[in-house]
Amino acid sequence: MLEQGKIDSRQAILLIISLVLPTAILTVPAITVKHAAQDAWISIIVATMAGLLIARLVTDLSLRFPGKTLFEYAEEILGRVPGKVVGFLYIWWFLHANALIMDEYASFLCSAHMPDTPVIVFFILGIAVAACAVRNGLEVLSRFNQLFLPLFLGLLLVVFILATKDMKVTRLLPVFDKGAIAILKGAATPASWLGEIVIFTMIIPFLNKPKEAYRVAALATLFTSFYLLVSILVAIMIFGPNVTGHWIFPTYNAVRVVSIANFLERMESIAVAVWMFGGFAKVGVFYYAAVLGSAQWLGLKDYRPLVAPVGVILVALAALCENIVELLDFLATAWPPYALSVFEVGMPLVLLIVALARGKGGEGT
Amino acid sequence: MVNFIKPLRARFPGRGNHPADQSKESSLPGASWKEQVLSPDLETNLKQIKAILDKCSDVVYREFVFAQNEQIRLALIYTDGLADKTQVGDQITKALALEVPMAVPGQEISKNRALEFIKQRGLCINEIQQTSKLRDVIQAILSGDSVLLVDGHDIAIVNGTKGWASRAISEPEAEPTVRGARESFVETLRTNTALLRRRINSPNLKIEVFKLGEITNTDVAIAYIEGIVNEKLVAEVKSRLQRIKVDAILESGYIEELIEENPWSPFPTVNHTEKPDRAAAMLLEGRVAILVDGTPFVLTVPNLFVEYLHSPEDYYERFIFTTAVRILRFLSALVSLTLPALYIAVVSFHHELLPTTLLLSIAGQREAVPFPVFVEVLVMELTFETLREAGIRLPRPLGQAVSIVGALVIGEAAVRAGLVAAATVIVVAFTGIASFTFAYSASIAFRLLRFTIMFLSAALGLFGLISGLALIGIHLCSLRSFGVPYLSPVVPMTGIDLKDVVFRAPLWAMFTRPRLIARQNQKRQEQGLKPEPPETRPKG
Amino acid sequence: MKKIAVLLLILLLTGLTGGCWSRRELTEVAIVLGTGVDWMEDGRIRLTVQIARPGAFTAGSEAGARGREPASWVVSAEGRTIQEAERYLAMKVPREIYWGHCIILVLGEEMARKGTGMITNFFQRDRQPRENIWVMVTRGEAKDFLETYSSLEKTSAQAAGFLERMKTGYSVQLWKLAEMLASKGIQPAVTAVEVKEAGITPEPDREKKSPPQKQVGLAGVAVFKEDKLIGWLDPYETRGLLWLKGEAMKGVIIVPSPGEPDKAVSIRIRRGSTKILPEYDGEYLRFMVRIRVEGDMVEQQSREDLAKPEKIKTLESEMADELKKRATAALEKAQNEYGVDIFGFGDAFHRKYKKEWRDLKDRWDEEFSRAEVNIAVEAQIREIGLLTKRAGVPEE
Repeated sequence: MLEQGKIDSRQAILLIISLVLPTAILTVPAITVKHAAQDAWISIIVATMAGLLIARLVTDLSLRFPGKTLFEYAEEILGRVPGKVVGFLYIWWFLHANALIMDEYASFLCSAHMPDTPVIVFFILGIAVAACAVRNGLEVLSRFNQLFLPLFLGLLLVVFILATKDMKVTRLLPVFDKGAIAILKGAATPASWLGEIVIFTMIIPFLNKPKEAYRVAALATLFTSFYLLVSILVAIMIFGPNVTGHWIFPTYNAVRVVSIANFLERMESIAVAVWMFGGFAKVGVFYYAAVLGSAQWLGLKDYRPLVAPVGVILVALAALCENIVELLDFLATAWPPYALSVFEVGMPLVLLIVALARGKGGEGT
Repeated sequence: MVNFIKPLRARFPGRGNHPADQSKESSLPGASWKEQVLSPDLETNLKQIKAILDKCSDVVYREFVFAQNEQIRLALIYTDGLADKTQVGDQITKALALEVPMAVPGQEISKNRALEFIKQRGLCINEIQQTSKLRDVIQAILSGDSVLLVDGHDIAIVNGTKGWASRAISEPEAEPTVRGARESFVETLRTNTALLRRRINSPNLKIEVFKLGEITNTDVAIAYIEGIVNEKLVAEVKSRLQRIKVDAILESGYIEELIEENPWSPFPTVNHTEKPDRAAAMLLEGRVAILVDGTPFVLTVPNLFVEYLHSPEDYYERFIFTTAVRILRFLSALVSLTLPALYIAVVSFHHELLPTTLLLSIAGQREAVPFPVFVEVLVMELTFETLREAGIRLPRPLGQAVSIVGALVIGEAAVRAGLVAAATVIVVAFTGIASFTFAYSASIAFRLLRFTIMFLSAALGLFGLISGLALIGIHLCSLRSFGVPYLSPVVPMTGIDLKDVVFRAPLWAMFTRPRLIARQNQKRQEQGLKPEPPETRPKG
Repeated sequence: MKKIAVLLLILLLTGLTGGCWSRRELTEVAIVLGTGVDWMEDGRIRLTVQIARPGAFTAGSEAGARGREPASWVVSAEGRTIQEAERYLAMKVPREIYWGHCIILVLGEEMARKGTGMITNFFQRDRQPRENIWVMVTRGEAKDFLETYSSLEKTSAQAAGFLERMKTGYSVQLWKLAEMLASKGIQPAVTAVEVKEAGITPEPDREKKSPPQKQVGLAGVAVFKEDKLIGWLDPYETRGLLWLKGEAMKGVIIVPSPGEPDKAVSIRIRRGSTKILPEYDGEYLRFMVRIRVEGDMVEQQSREDLAKPEKIKTLESEMADELKKRATAALEKAQNEYGVDIFGFGDAFHRKYKKEWRDLKDRWDEEFSRAEVNIAVEAQIREIGLLTKRAGVPEE
């Protein structure tokens, strides 16, 4: 086995939250609100349903092959060559998704905080920190996450509570203004984000109680959706749907306007600071999946030698993106069909069906 | 990175991880006597011992005859200053040379029976042993015991006469507390074990002694409580101690550095204390203590990070107060690590973080300052560290002078001259004070890392600061102390042990011992110990 | 050990490759406290900034010795866009202009008539200015407004900001303005301010009385259609606007004393709420506005004893009438004179009739002007202070 460590269910839940939330909370609200206006929160609920289904699919698939990751059982199910092809595609997707995450991360920091700093600095430092965690293995990665994620979640909640002063529930009315199609369109992006839970297939083998995998995945999805939902509600209730759709990072703007007694204000830097930990963790998980996957794909005994080269590839891929407009457009239009239909639902579903048909793997529970 | 480290390791073989490569032979000359035994002839023995202890002017040889039978010659050898002279004089020399004839009148003692007789009736010493090995004899002489050689016997009697001038038990200097025992460990191992035994009157308190250090032959004891301690831990401690093959152990720090798991980490993973009550509490939680002769600092393992933010007093004061103080300490730790970096980040990158009036006030103070804020803070921090170091090294009577000069020069003159902003002085001073609120050994690590983070923060603002913290976080997460994750019970989270991290549960609610340390014997006490007024107590 | 090596490497990288990209030392920035924008005759924009002089803000002994030195510096430059003007400004300002602590954005009257959208865009898009800048329109030129002095605060920008924050009048922050600009169901209304003659600062030397100072003050509301200024509401109508918008329930209502109508009674408002209920049958548009108010009696000029239930009842109904009058004044002006919905009736309508809204939204202002609005006020008096009647009045 490449990975020696084991993580417990609590750590796994937090890891999956980190897997989705840090960048989702940044860009998803604006995209969803653009489609569904004040009904964006319904979109999130719809997306949550989809996310739960994907979680079920992924855990069912993984539990048929206890102790094995996606890359190992893909070969077992489909045979050596097609399995390798699927594995290769997933490695590509992990890398690509990670590069996009880094782009979001860096462009946010850049446009919101440090405009004169070249993005490549953020890429390199971000990858370096993540590499440190990845080198130390899943155990350290999830402990790191367990140490800092609660800070992020807690602070976010506090800020949201403080923001209630500026909120008006009436801004959510009227319900179903734009119709079902708009709501579904709005749901696509958050669903594709929640679907990133596919990476959980790389972690399930290292759970100390694999039986709880679905519970873990479902709880994590619900948690993430809750935060997405709240952040969208907060943004809409403060700014109204029109302005929320105009901002690029509405949650960030919502934090900026919080002002209690002219004293508790200007909290965005603290929020961004704490959020950065989440960013490191998110990059770290994708990074880890890519590294572990490649090691298994290449049949190596240790994944550590791959950490550095994969890091370099990641920085290079991330640097390819030209500007934030391109990135946002990609995230809003191309990403959902690309990620959702192929990697998050398509391939796992095919794998599961073939596994069932060929009778591969044990009974999934 | 590994390649960069390897040559370093090769250059210092003695400090490396491979003691097996070293030769077992001591590097000292003339070590051939080590395996030899005594001869029946007194002269030969004396000659040999004198040869070994040549030019050891503090060794005393006293030859006399046995009062019972003047044919029997005796020799007493001890080290002046280490052996208790009254004991040696009254209970050995006087007893054998003078008193025996009166005790047993008219009875002739043959040469053959002499040894047995002296052991049984002659000596008034409490603790005697006998040995025939020359090595043990030498060892005994040099460790303060006196050795009695009897002509015609190849066996020496070792009298426990250790008694040298030692420091009295005094108040702990490095870990002062308001409430709690005022005793501190001293430099004598035996006194230290006694201090422990006095607190834990149980046959289960085991104290095993080794000798470490090829030249110093230092006594090292490990103490643990059988039944609570994890047996594997004891075995691990022993095996780590046994692979130490160095010439000298002068302080427990030598051992600490040779048994820890992460020699490259700035964080200590072996805790030390000079308070017997704290050591006893550690033992009761299932830890192992390592006592070293010659130092009042006792090591305890495994070590958790939170220990550094706790004080023994925490358990003597009321738990509500303790919890509040602990919150203060945790915040101080954070402050001592990050405040200067945060200040740099805010003043040179993120002006939006401060309220307008505060920002303008700081800006006003900095108007005349000729340096960038990073340089300003760095210089002030270095000055502060210099002062602190000077305060420790300085002969005590001069301490006053340093503090006056420090306060005047740095606090007043620098600000008045416009070289430093008042806000910077406040930040540095607060950071300095905050770093004294928790254990010194952890605060050293924090101080060191503070500079690193300041550097990152000066280069990349908040992003640098957070990256630095994340790296430190990852590093801390990867540390272990004798197999126990350093950051437990926070991560990995052990729910029940959170009772004693920031929050300190009332003693009647601490039912269990730390789960990852006392693995076998979790139960600390019965439930239902919460005191209640008599009328609400159930009858019967 | 690897981590330490990595850390060292990163340190070397960041430190030696000349990091410090976005670094701005505090001594290198000019902190803008107030911004003013005026429209020039030649179609250019004049940007005026009030920059803080940090030396005046320290409370040290030295600053005290130097006495009260001027706390701000006002400087202007012209350009086609805000950014261009800022570049020209940078030619005169020896430090980097920093917007992160800008408190107010003042639009000159002419500028506001030409449109605010082109101004506010920069302040929303750029990362430095905050969403909660107070936006205001001044009668006259923004430059004059910023060049005033404040006796109580250090700078006039701070004084204006605090005036807004007190919510004594109608105040609006940038993000609220953005919301009003983005919605079709409401037209923007922005605080109006002006330069007023306000008080004097007495000196110890009686003879050397300083002349009255020109200082900033509130002056009602500027009414916009889309993003262009079309008119004003005076302070009395502003109160009505506040009631109809259901915001900032503060202030005092003056009503005649029930027994002696020529004497007045003041009632301080404690809290209130407003509900707008639209009714629409496809043709006829009607709004029910329900206002609830609670107040305390704080002042009485008349001699009568008002601490009687029936007198209080009368006061309550007078209070309701007065409030209704105020609201109607604002409404009349908006409906008849300016023909814009600055109250958000459109949004209320949208919430209830989402289908009908789709037809109406593009000609909402006309619909609104024709709509019938019924205002119903329910007033209550809670406390009467520490007296039962005017003190020092002999028993009759």
